[in-house]
Amino acid sequence: MQNTLVQLLHNSVDRFPEKTAVIQGETTLTYIELWNKACGVAHYLLRNNFKNNDKASLLLDNSAEYIIAYYGVLIAGGSVIGLNTAAKSRDLVNWIEHSDSKFVFASINHAEVNDVLDILPDNKCQFIFVGLEITKQNDHDWNQIQMNSDLPESCIEWLPDEKLASIIYTSGTTGKPKGVMLSHTNLYENIVSILTYLKLNNNDSIVNVLPFYYSYGNSVLHSHLAAGATLILENSMLYPQKILSVLADKKVTGFSGVPSTFNLILNRTKLADFDLSSLRYMTQAGGPMAPANVERLKKELPGIDFFIMYGQTEASARLSYLPPEQLENKPGSIGKAIPGVRLEIRDENQKAVSISETGEIYAYGKNIMLGYWKDKEATTSVIYDGWLKTGDLAYQDEDDYFYIVGRSTDMIKSGAHRISPKDIEEVILELDGVEEVAVVGVADVLLGQIIKAVVVIAPGYTMDKMKLMRHCKENLASYKLPKNIEFKDEIPKTASGKIRRFMLEK
Amino acid sequence: MSTEQQIRDYILENYLFTDDQSALDNSDSFLDKGILDSTGILEVIYFIEEEMEIKVEDEEMIPENLDSVNNIVAFIKRKNESD
Repeated sequence: MQNTLVQLLHNSVDRFPEKTAVIQGETTLTYIELWNKACGVAHYLLRNNFKNNDKASLLLDNSAEYIIAYYGVLIAGGSVIGLNTAAKSRDLVNWIEHSDSKFVFASINHAEVNDVLDILPDNKCQFIFVGLEITKQNDHDWNQIQMNSDLPESCIEWLPDEKLASIIYTSGTTGKPKGVMLSHTNLYENIVSILTYLKLNNNDSIVNVLPFYYSYGNSVLHSHLAAGATLILENSMLYPQKILSVLADKKVTGFSGVPSTFNLILNRTKLADFDLSSLRYMTQAGGPMAPANVERLKKELPGIDFFIMYGQTEASARLSYLPPEQLENKPGSIGKAIPGVRLEIRDENQKAVSISETGEIYAYGKNIMLGYWKDKEATTSVIYDGWLKTGDLAYQDEDDYFYIVGRSTDMIKSGAHRISPKDIEEVILELDGVEEVAVVGVADVLLGQIIKAVVVIAPGYTMDKMKLMRHCKENLASYKLPKNIEFKDEIPKTASGKIRRFMLEK
Repeated sequence: MSTEQQIRDYILENYLFTDDQSALDNSDSFLDKGILDSTGILEVIYFIEEEMEIKVEDEEMIPENLDSVNNIVAFIKRKNESD
């Protein structure tokens, strides 16, 4: 298990067994406790017919239990699917079925879990309800299954580096969900690189507000455990004052966010009211942050290393970073490739372009995904000779720094979420009377983009906004809900019938 | 219309997309029930500031003041009394 996530955690357990790994409210977990509980989960799975390469889904918010279950599945030789807990039952069932999950670790409190159980065919997979007393038949007691903590050596040994560690679903209401396959090598290489440039170590601690089911949160989780650092879990940015209080009270050294996180902090808190003298680094990814906000943050928090980063789920998370000392010289840049990664700007014929010329970013490295789960066609459309076609348009300056100028796809980036317009269009089209719909992203100061739906109603039908939104709320995750609905007589199209989305993005 | 009803109607219409009054309990936590996200809470603050003519200070942006209809109503009452 040389280059695996399990090895990285095990190194920290060996070096810092009694150090606190995770804090969530009143709950704390040391490294040795985390390891023992994860081994208990692995034992349980293996006793229950979980075989090498089997899959298990996690329907859990960020929590100690999420981390225990995640590593338990890996130690048992399986692959983890961290389900998006904001998703509705139709997506969750789709992902559980598509991934062939044999087990689902679920919170009994999850709002959709009963619907998921109703929709999933009987005996499709086994549910383990986490955190509460178990009453249902065939359920398995979470508290008991963590008890057997002996290391299952036999299964650790069989973990090859190239083994599939995780599938992260990025979209897909029906039809073909897109599941990004990440191997242990992919994640290991990316984490080692992140540890190098962030200089993470066992004296660090981070307040994490990023969901672990996305690649950014996933990389924060594993990189901090690999460093022997402490993760403090706070699951919402709803009240930014609270987050700053925790940063100050616990003398935290690190914080990671997306542009809207920092926007909230800058505009709805008084940073000067909090003693953040222990804070050493902040990282930002998940879309472009306005250089003016970066400047404000630097001014209000001098002495803190602020890392602008860029990446993709298909690259395990990270592709580039801007060194903090270059923030002033290279405003708006996503920096250079991280160690172990190569980036190139290419034209539509995949030929490298000249300095300052705009093209598409291609990326190469051991962090590039194995492909999309059960979708060779989608895989071959983005991987060429091992290079990942990112879909991001950018140019490189004379000092080799990269600058993103847009995207070549219709994907909407809102907050930390990457959203396929098709997912939303499909749901709106289900309503009787909707003849046509086009969903686009519209520029927004806080979120980067907000979702706008342009809807054409068929003759003879009536539709009001509330009815349409209610249907969306019932069937879409909250971050996919349109903020703006426009009823029109027709949707502008090209001669070949393609929607002219740019005409709707205003 | 009472302050309580105004807030209820705003939440029901803009976040629950219904006029069914039983869909929202005054003690429902916006965070725990997933009714609002971080942009939603900002929108609620703008609504309160506009409609109730009070200023929500940054340090007042805490769950005790804003995380349910009851909390908001009590918060507005306290603000008005202190003016």
